Amino acid sequence: MSAINKLERHQARTAYLFIAPTMLLFIIFMVIPVVMALYLSFTNYDVLSRMDWVGWDNYRRLLDDSLLWLTFRNVLLYAVIFVPLNIMVSFGLGLLVNHAWRGVKLFRTLYYLPTLTSAVAAATVWLWLLHPEFGLVNGLLSYIGVTGPAWVAQTETAMMAIVLVTLWQSVGSNMIIYLAGLQGVPGHLYESARLDGANRWDMIRYITWPQLRPTTFLVSTMAIIGALQLFDQAFVLTQGGPANMTKTPVYLIYQQGFNQLQMGYASAQAFVLAMAILIFSLINMRITKAEESVI
Amino acid sequence: MKKRWMTLTATVLTAAMIAGCSGNNGGGTSEGGTSPGTEGGSGDKPVELTFWGDWGGEGQVQFETMVNAFNESQDKIRVKYVLQQDMITKFLTSATSGGTPDILFWDRWRTSLYAPKNVLHPIDELMARDGVERDNYFEESLKELTYDDKLYGLPLTVDARALFYNKTMLEEAGLEPPTTWEELATAAKALTKWNGDKLEVAGFSMSDPGLFNMYLQQAGGQMITEDGKTSFNNEQGMEVLSFWDRLMNQDKVYKIGFEQGLGEGTDAFVTGKLAMHFTGPWMLSTYKKYGSELDFGIVPPPAGPSGDQASVMGGFGLVIPEGSKHKDEAWEFITWWLANKDNAMLWAQTSLNLPGYKPALEDPFFADDPLWQPFLETLEFAKIRPQHPGYSVMEVDGLIPNLELFIQNKQSAEDTLAKSQTQGDKLLKDNEVVE
Repeated sequence: MSAINKLERHQARTAYLFIAPTMLLFIIFMVIPVVMALYLSFTNYDVLSRMDWVGWDNYRRLLDDSLLWLTFRNVLLYAVIFVPLNIMVSFGLGLLVNHAWRGVKLFRTLYYLPTLTSAVAAATVWLWLLHPEFGLVNGLLSYIGVTGPAWVAQTETAMMAIVLVTLWQSVGSNMIIYLAGLQGVPGHLYESARLDGANRWDMIRYITWPQLRPTTFLVSTMAIIGALQLFDQAFVLTQGGPANMTKTPVYLIYQQGFNQLQMGYASAQAFVLAMAILIFSLINMRITKAEESVI
Repeated sequence: MKKRWMTLTATVLTAAMIAGCSGNNGGGTSEGGTSPGTEGGSGDKPVELTFWGDWGGEGQVQFETMVNAFNESQDKIRVKYVLQQDMITKFLTSATSGGTPDILFWDRWRTSLYAPKNVLHPIDELMARDGVERDNYFEESLKELTYDDKLYGLPLTVDARALFYNKTMLEEAGLEPPTTWEELATAAKALTKWNGDKLEVAGFSMSDPGLFNMYLQQAGGQMITEDGKTSFNNEQGMEVLSFWDRLMNQDKVYKIGFEQGLGEGTDAFVTGKLAMHFTGPWMLSTYKKYGSELDFGIVPPPAGPSGDQASVMGGFGLVIPEGSKHKDEAWEFITWWLANKDNAMLWAQTSLNLPGYKPALEDPFFADDPLWQPFLETLEFAKIRPQHPGYSVMEVDGLIPNLELFIQNKQSAEDTLAKSQTQGDKLLKDNEVVE
């Protein structure tokens, strides 16, 4: 008995030692800064000259900050469109390239390629493609007699343009995650389903999709976090315009902290954003885990 | 045995990571920090100064030309240019943790935000000691470097927008370069070419609603009042909007998004898809590259309905951070560059910027050049942006979004001005200086 305990203790110690480097980095670069930011959000810290405790002042100011809430509305709208589309498209692509057929590796590479480009560079190229008069997108539309909009400049389409570009850039890596998940679905499940007379769609609906629930959870959580932290593509494509329609909380936090030197207030804004991310991740967790697993 | 190996490996890994981590930190500070000239402060060794800027590429070469010329001119001070991509953020951290540079390349409008924090060194005493004349600089550019009656730096460049026009296109249409809003609107309409619902040539660029400030002054108005409130929800503001409405929605001289995403080689003005637009001297070298393919002229911005002329002056300066240990030497470098005609000219000809030092602007290089001359004229009446620390936020987050809705015909002129006022006043108040 005691020998087993001893062994366990030893194993535990080794395990702690193994996770020590990661934990150390996590504490230095995540935990400490987060705690500091929480503290700063109760001060009037301006980086340069002062850091006095101001109590709840920053949070009170938040309530009245209509621009901040507008940016939250913007990213929520973005998330509502972006996250489901992201899951559907990357799941679909994953299914498509899951089977071994001639040239599949080429397609896997092609779908993954956009992920490797820098967000800013890709957005710059897209800006070109979306140009109202000389862009490829509107050029193609004009062949079918449609006058395309000024995608990134018009209030109606600016957010759609950002969804399009970010989707293009992010489905590749999610496709890989789904692909890994798909390869792990045991073949005997399909076999027995076939014996029971299930068709292709049934198998996707009742086997593949439930089996991939952990994968979907991962993909959707990352997508939600990414959506709420939207910044670079939106900044390059629209600079937050037109009419503040695509301004995002991260943009505002950066501006408030680094351009206006109100780091205390910016920290408070950042905390609200962090809370929002936490809440939506929890909701997501409930939704994704709602159904009982098949096995 | 196996276990022991694992333990050992883990320990080594941990140690390596900690070492790597702290090693990086060390590298970080020594690379950016530059504790200036601690070793060269006394004796015969020259004093070493660090000069930070965020101009890379050609700009870096231009700065280094000046730095090298200064280093060769004497042997007491050695200046080194350090490119800081994210200069302002870097300065923020260095100002508190030490390791500030001795000279900082400075976007002048930031002065009203940074000077109250006591991180910049006032130069009034140095000016008086060395007899540097204020008259040699545009009063507006000095004003932008001033906070609370203290001067914090000298202007390196001055700029202001003027009207660039495509000569060939105006000649073909039998038009003279516009000098008033009325002439501008007429010319813009005549130069615009539509093909069905495709805009082929825009007569005049309406891409930047941020130019409202300039138009408002041309209409005889001011952006904000003395006590820090917006002052465009009035007759003058209305005048600007009805002028824009005429250009955008009645005469349709432009289409939104027309220039978005067009880089240097595909610039609408270069490719003949845009006949006229407001821009600054920073575009001259780009446009000159196209030589005979692009025949263009420049005139000062057309005057408003009551004959008011206006443009917004901007530009850069050089400042001395309060943390510098060699302020006198830094000042010597700054005056060598910015208060000496020969050196100011060397800078101007190297970088093709209008120098902040006025005597250099009298040089035939500028005064006799038909492309520079309109800017000199414009600078005589150009005014800086209001010095409220919340001004740019008010403009970017409060005013421009509403103007965009107006330009896209989604909000009436009255609503636009009223909403810009409420939102703008709030942003100004939230971002004013708190002592």
